[in-house]
Amino acid sequence: MPRLTVNDHPVEIAMDPQTPLLWGLRDGANLTGTKYGCGVGDCGACTVLVDGAALRACLVTLGECEGRFVTTIEGLSADRSHPMQQAMVAEQAIQCGFCTPGIVIGGAALLARNANPSEAEIREALTNLCRCGVYPRLIAAVQRAGRVMRREEIISAAPAPGIAPSDAARKVPALTLPEKAPPLNKTTSERQEQRP
Amino acid sequence: MAPSRRSVSRRGILIGTLAGGGLAVGYLLRPRRYPLPLEPGRDEYAFGAWIKIAGDGVVSVAVPQVEMGQGVTTLLPQIVAHELGADWRQVAVEPAPASALYANAVLAAKWAPLWMPAVPGLAEAPEGFIARRWAEDHRFNVTADGTSLAAYEGPARAAAASARALLTQAAAARWNVAPEECEVAGGLVIHGDKRLNFGPLAAQAASFSPPDPPPLRAEPMSERPGEFLPGAPLRYPRLDLPSKVDGSWTFAGDVRLPDMLRAAIRHAPIGTSSLSGLDETAARGLRGFRRFVRGPDWVAALADDWWTAESALTRAAPRFRVARGSDSGEVDRALDDAMALGSPTRIHLTGDSNAIEGGLPTQIRYEVAPAVHATIETASATARYENGRLELWVGTQAPEAVRTAAAHATGIAAGDVLLYPMAIGGSFDRRLECDHAAQAAVLAKEAGRPVQLTLSRRQEHFATFPRAPAVAVMAARPDAEGRPIGWRARIAAPAAAREFGRRFFSGDAPFDALDAVARTADPLALEGAVPAYAVPNLAVDHVPAAIGLPTGRMRGNAHGYTAFFNESFVDELAHQAGREPLSFRMAMLGHEPRLAECLQRAASLAQWGGGGDHSGQGIACHVIGEGRIALVASARRDENGVRVDKLSAVADIGRIVNLDIARQQVEGGLIFGLGLALGCSPNYTGGRPDGERLSDLALPTLADCPAVEVEFVDSAADPADPADPGELGVAVVAPAVANALFSATGLRFRRLPLFAEDM
Repeated sequence: MPRLTVNDHPVEIAMDPQTPLLWGLRDGANLTGTKYGCGVGDCGACTVLVDGAALRACLVTLGECEGRFVTTIEGLSADRSHPMQQAMVAEQAIQCGFCTPGIVIGGAALLARNANPSEAEIREALTNLCRCGVYPRLIAAVQRAGRVMRREEIISAAPAPGIAPSDAARKVPALTLPEKAPPLNKTTSERQEQRP
Repeated sequence: MAPSRRSVSRRGILIGTLAGGGLAVGYLLRPRRYPLPLEPGRDEYAFGAWIKIAGDGVVSVAVPQVEMGQGVTTLLPQIVAHELGADWRQVAVEPAPASALYANAVLAAKWAPLWMPAVPGLAEAPEGFIARRWAEDHRFNVTADGTSLAAYEGPARAAAASARALLTQAAAARWNVAPEECEVAGGLVIHGDKRLNFGPLAAQAASFSPPDPPPLRAEPMSERPGEFLPGAPLRYPRLDLPSKVDGSWTFAGDVRLPDMLRAAIRHAPIGTSSLSGLDETAARGLRGFRRFVRGPDWVAALADDWWTAESALTRAAPRFRVARGSDSGEVDRALDDAMALGSPTRIHLTGDSNAIEGGLPTQIRYEVAPAVHATIETASATARYENGRLELWVGTQAPEAVRTAAAHATGIAAGDVLLYPMAIGGSFDRRLECDHAAQAAVLAKEAGRPVQLTLSRRQEHFATFPRAPAVAVMAARPDAEGRPIGWRARIAAPAAAREFGRRFFSGDAPFDALDAVARTADPLALEGAVPAYAVPNLAVDHVPAAIGLPTGRMRGNAHGYTAFFNESFVDELAHQAGREPLSFRMAMLGHEPRLAECLQRAASLAQWGGGGDHSGQGIACHVIGEGRIALVASARRDENGVRVDKLSAVADIGRIVNLDIARQQVEGGLIFGLGLALGCSPNYTGGRPDGERLSDLALPTLADCPAVEVEFVDSAADPADPADPGELGVAVVAPAVANALFSATGLRFRRLPLFAEDM
């Protein structure tokens, strides 16, 4: 049974070691943000970080990932705060969203080694296919993410998931905390309110 | 291919009765009431079928159209938010199930020739009464042909206006003031310095009876291009994007159910084929493999994970007996034969037909090969069958058709099928037909456990019916200035729209549909063939071709080839006359000032230099419904083939609801159209498409993506119908690039995809 670290959790996946990492993630670990588009490395929808490098998860087996650190789109940040996530939303460089996780991971890997990539470097690094045609926005999105990484800019385009209704109500005058119905996820909201 | 091809012939009977006359009146006038499709949850209050307001102020908007990237999940809520006076941050969205209350009467009217082929004119009447009633009866809420705004802006807006009036009434009653003195903005009802938000008012507001008619705001939702400087913040950012960057946005293949099996499938080649052999023993010993399930012309493997299911099929090497396997050579021959020998049907005539009979001084032939969608998401569906009831998770443009087909395939009533609408990973009309959903349903019933079926990439291409191929002979009689006084387009193509209609509305098997329409003229298959230019004598002829390859819908549909024919041809006429291509076009557009403006602005945006001197610039324009676009392309040839450097487009799509979404659609349409211009075209041999891999299809990549600039004309006209401006981009790009290549190389490229021709 292959043992590896996925999104900082050590896991043992009960599947044949010859299984592509993609299916280990999707069907073994239920991490469905990593998408299947072709199975042969053409589309890049299954791109994940393996020891920090962007790899096609369909081209590497679970066995080959033994002992390695895998980061999927779910683990890139806890709250959509990675600059690449924020920049993709801010530039609306997303349409159907199927290729997006792979592009975000690919961009994050590029920026991790070069926070100020040229247009040519971005074109060379992001080989992901997108049929909706977001390409015209991708260069700007990656460069904007780079500016955020270099602390030249701040973006808050994609809010964190699971905002407590009470926090939302404090920010947005149109929202109130209802008197009758307490929020369903009470423990979550209490925990969030206690944060500094 | 699905086990469910027959079925739904009852629709034919119903339509027949209707067309008969007498019975129709009673049928139409019977009053209807439909239950609310979305049940309000705890402390939530429904305002019609479109809006729910919760005690905490969250406004949930129902979206009865499927999200496939085009932004409808934002557009309809935005219309509601504007009309209601809501704060965008309080707006939530939920996909709505099929219901008569969400009938797409606009598309029903447009497709009347497909569901009521005998007397389509009845339903195409402007008031659309018959189409509306038919759409309601069939819970027809198909997402296609850019009809979302035309069909749903009105009802969504009316519901919002009504809710605003009721909230105002509730607030006015509390304050003891006149409702007319209150206003609603930013999610608050306001009177002087008093304000209340929607949450505490919702319960009481929902108990009043709604005003009739609803008091609409003076101005509908509109974002004007001039209001947005470059870099200006978005006023209505897309609601679906945050969950698309963290992996939480789910597609049908991402559904996870307890005890669920995964399925892979092998389809027979495209033809009338059946399964003839399977080495079941070869899969023994594969850990997690469960069993094979055989269909009439497919076989599926079930396993604990998808990879094992796929591996089992690879080992078992299914064999198929193939008859009438589709073949590219046969396709080409059929189109040639139709052009040479077929009998044309005139589907359009302006002026004097004598002026355009027989051989004309200029006759040029153009060809377009079949093209596939190549969506990155392969077809996927999840099904659970328990106690005679079926649950289906599927991304489809036609939910009710899927529901009916799945019910038929499993032998239950459609009422026992619950369909959860899922988002689609790029469709481009590929998911108008969803045989895989019925297959997943059969597998779940066989397995007695939930099953998730996902097509491999290769199978996605086996299951795809391509956009129809077409051959045109464009003919013109120029006057002394070189301008055409006669224009005749003779187009050989399969009756693609009618063929789709036979499958979609009558449940025909693919080859039955082919045969049924083999000699039928099909105006919908030639949409866009009538050019926008003022030509005194103009005819469009359809020569139906029986090509032996089933064809399907695709983004842009017929416009994808008719724009190529028209705009390549008019460019050739200009050069033949020694005229500059832009002014040549302008001279024929005195009656079309909106298109003329697009052309002029695109020219200035691109610094159009006339296209001469090997500049590599080419120009083209096209009209779809009330939408107009002009494009200047810069292209050249290099060692790798065609290189497109820049696309400069100006579109007039009337009033724009969301400017950045409109821009996304035009950009994306241009890139998609570029893919169709340069690739996306498999060859078929014995029913097998080559190009099993995406890399075989020459799809556009970031590395070779041209610079794209898009501007919009500021317009208060009705939103273009089709409102999907992406279709405009798809149509216009191929001829603009072909014309640019002529400028660059002196060679005319008269075949799509362009690279297929010798460079």
